Amino acid sequence: MWKRLNALIRHGDLDRGLNAEVRFHLEMETEKNIKLGMSPDEARLKALRSFGPMEKHKEETRDARGVSWIETLLADLRYGGRALLKHPGYALLAILTLGLGIGANTAIFSVINGVLLKPLPYEHGDRLVVVQQSRPLSGQPQVGVAIAEYFDYRERGKDVFDGLVEYHQMNFDLINRGEPDRVNTGVVSANFFDLLGIKPILGRSFVAEDDVIGAEAVLLLSHTYWRQKFGGDPNIVGQVFEMNDRPHRVIGVLPNVPHYPQENDVYMPVLACPFRARAEGQVASNRRAFGALNVFGRLKEGVSAEQAASAVGAICHTFTEDNKQVYRPETSGFRATTVPVRDALTSGARELLLILLGITGLVLLIACANVANLTLARMLGRDRELAMRTALGAGRSRLVRQLLTESTLLAVCSGIVGVAFAYGTIGMLTRFVGRFTSRTGEIGLDPMVLMFTLGVSILTGILFGTLPALGSRVDLVAALKQGGSQAGDATRRKRIQGALIVAQVAVSVMLLVGAGLLLASFFRLQRVETGYRSDGVLSAQIFGNFSRYPTIVEQRALYVPVLERIQALPGVSAAAITNAVPLGGAATPGAIRFQIEGKANDDPERLPTADVRVATPQYFATIGVPMISGRVFNDLDSEESLRVVVINKAMTKYWDGVDPVGSRIALPTAPLPGTTTPRLAWYSIVGIVGDVRQFGLAQETVAQAYVPLTQTPFGVAGQILVRTAGDPASFANQLRSTVYAVDPNQPVENIQTLDDLRSEALAAPRLTATLLGVFAALALLVTLAGIGGVIATSVQQRTKEFGLRMALGARRGSVLTMVVRQGLTLVLIGLAVGVAGALVAGRVLSAYLYQTAPRDPLIFAGVAALFVLSGIIACLIPARRATTVDPLIALRAE
Amino acid sequence: MAKLDLLQGTLDLLILKTLALGPQHGWGISQRIQQISENVLRVNQGSLYPALQRLDTAGWIESEWGASENNRQAKFYKLTKKGERQLKEETAQWERMTLAVQRILDVETT
Repeated sequence: MWKRLNALIRHGDLDRGLNAEVRFHLEMETEKNIKLGMSPDEARLKALRSFGPMEKHKEETRDARGVSWIETLLADLRYGGRALLKHPGYALLAILTLGLGIGANTAIFSVINGVLLKPLPYEHGDRLVVVQQSRPLSGQPQVGVAIAEYFDYRERGKDVFDGLVEYHQMNFDLINRGEPDRVNTGVVSANFFDLLGIKPILGRSFVAEDDVIGAEAVLLLSHTYWRQKFGGDPNIVGQVFEMNDRPHRVIGVLPNVPHYPQENDVYMPVLACPFRARAEGQVASNRRAFGALNVFGRLKEGVSAEQAASAVGAICHTFTEDNKQVYRPETSGFRATTVPVRDALTSGARELLLILLGITGLVLLIACANVANLTLARMLGRDRELAMRTALGAGRSRLVRQLLTESTLLAVCSGIVGVAFAYGTIGMLTRFVGRFTSRTGEIGLDPMVLMFTLGVSILTGILFGTLPALGSRVDLVAALKQGGSQAGDATRRKRIQGALIVAQVAVSVMLLVGAGLLLASFFRLQRVETGYRSDGVLSAQIFGNFSRYPTIVEQRALYVPVLERIQALPGVSAAAITNAVPLGGAATPGAIRFQIEGKANDDPERLPTADVRVATPQYFATIGVPMISGRVFNDLDSEESLRVVVINKAMTKYWDGVDPVGSRIALPTAPLPGTTTPRLAWYSIVGIVGDVRQFGLAQETVAQAYVPLTQTPFGVAGQILVRTAGDPASFANQLRSTVYAVDPNQPVENIQTLDDLRSEALAAPRLTATLLGVFAALALLVTLAGIGGVIATSVQQRTKEFGLRMALGARRGSVLTMVVRQGLTLVLIGLAVGVAGALVAGRVLSAYLYQTAPRDPLIFAGVAALFVLSGIIACLIPARRATTVDPLIALRAE
Repeated sequence: MAKLDLLQGTLDLLILKTLALGPQHGWGISQRIQQISENVLRVNQGSLYPALQRLDTAGWIESEWGASENNRQAKFYKLTKKGERQLKEETAQWERMTLAVQRILDVETT
């Protein structure tokens, strides 16, 4: 190795040495020949002849030194750089085309890397699993873990888990020097952070002693919250803040690591959460108490995910069999399994990301094909140069290597453009992916991504360089002869060009069909009948903290005065308190089981279910939900009056065509004080209203029942809805000050117009459609340019032929038709291939389509028509040149 | 009798063998190979130099500039320890091969 490096560095020296050596050899040989009696000239000639081809031997000697490939590469790079600079237009176009393709792939890969590939940033992240319970037979894919169930898993799962921890999220008011601040609070087992291997940067983590009833309430702050709210105060540990009417002492600050499953501002131990602590006392009487936990575990070393899943399944089987009256396993199918945390976090984004990667891969292929075509066209002009190089002794492999070096150089330049492109778009992509997974914190252009880009660039260079290089077999004599330059490889090149065009068209068609499907689906989704009017309505959350508003009685004392004041404001036409903001973020409807009078059912798993919401009298008027029959609530529906309920149209299905108005349903109500047994309360149906798409535009409305605020037994996370005469957004300050007038310590959050919420609900499909639309448009443009380019070259080559034809009396029209037909044939073949491909591949999109079949014939027809038309235009432009040829000039041209 | 072209790979062996007799420059090596083989073998003189470079890179020979017999600057090549081992190995190999070829030829003639 040293010798090789030395040889490279001392390259000049060694070459001089070799020359001297050869000179010495020839002189000696000449002298010998003179001694043998030859004349000096004759002696020298003989010596040269017996030496053989001198340059060949020198070249071989250099090769034997073993550095020649580096030298060759450097020379090729220099030469390639010069060649590209000589054709800046070609270079720029190629670099931009490929740069976009590589950039799109880099951006998508950086997301895939950050979301799907990187191990979780925790100790033994690959061994973390989450327990998932479900009631498949009751149509509930996810059931939170209850305290008693968690205890069972923890006690009986010791063989498979190093540890099992619980987590749930709450919102509490933290009083920071008089200012109420509503914080996202992670409520976790004391060993939660130990299990994840997270050590606080200040202070200490939770210990078992923190997690007992009566212990001093302690908090851990997240890094972000500490920086933002306390300016990174190094003396934060030990400070005391009020939360839930108790002093809470800060014992530590977490490092800057991503939080899973949710980002939180502060963390507290399990029993510091008043709700969780209260529920712990009910475990003995209620197995399903506090059924809202997330349970994580770390597998013991050597335990497989399958073993853990079956162990958890078995524990679940045991406790459901032991408590049949609670779980009713026969009718609910209650079961449990484990899923790796990483999969659970990213399952919503995986498929979409892979689809996007596939799409960007296709775009890159098109870009490659196009640049290959550009390069081929350029090769036409380089025939003579290549022939010259062949004549000077360059072998075929040497020529191919030179061409490949050039294309790789081009591709690496494109890679740099691509990284810049990815850098610019990664933020937007991250926000987009954030709609499908919470794991977006680790997306970035890290070394892994850059390696990927480099790899893709080099591969791209080889890919688009190989085809033209294969066409570089040079017919020496023909090429060197002036005017014979088009003889040699024209047919083969044409064939390669044709194949490239067909491939480009096929791929573009697939992308266009995909984009068309998504766009059609998006427009349908946008025009979906939502059942309410979103214009002119402002919404906000005023959720009274439980410590000051523990039950619905106190909450009404907050909500009702606020509502009355707002309704009295000028410009307000209607306002309501509810917990049912359409498209307000809740993704799944509730499924409250209820009894219908006269249709008694003893098996709770077979009871009808409905999503039960709370509303005040003006709710339906505020958001414009039409009344179908009966009446809505009025001020006479009070705590003491007859309990009433309004149902939506979807819910009438339970009455089999009989008018439900006047009949009664029984809904669960609060247990009597001192007991935990749920009770039922009967409500009379007084009215039927229209269906509202409350949980998603694409989600069919479920049965919904509305209970008046005055008659609900449960606490309500209050939402205000206000219909205003003017711009609702400008009403935000008035809304806030009205709430503060009633309670100056009540935070007002999530102030948003219903229009914004609706637009937000469309954001993900809009972005998906836009993204694919942009890619497809790019692909179409690039492909059309490719078709135009190929036709233009072919027209140029056939100038003489066209001149001849026209001289012999061919009309312009027929020449035009001939040229267009040539291009259109390629388009049609590509179209056929592309349509076949789209028919097969379209299925992967079906999860993202709303009321649009992946084989929607209208979309396919539209794409085909678009392609045929634009293909004809792309051919016509260069074809017109063929008809403007003056026969005389054309014939004289060569 | 026509001169024989050198078999592939045998040139290396001949160079090593020649240098085993003492250091020599390129022209000298070519002369000696021709003398020893009594002008039967034809070495394309130029092809000697790539071979020398190859052996040098492999570390079997090393070179040094010095004065030739007629007092001119010439590059002298000399066998290294590694080269001596290589020579032994290649000689043995050569003998095995010629023996094998000879046997086959013997069978053919009987």
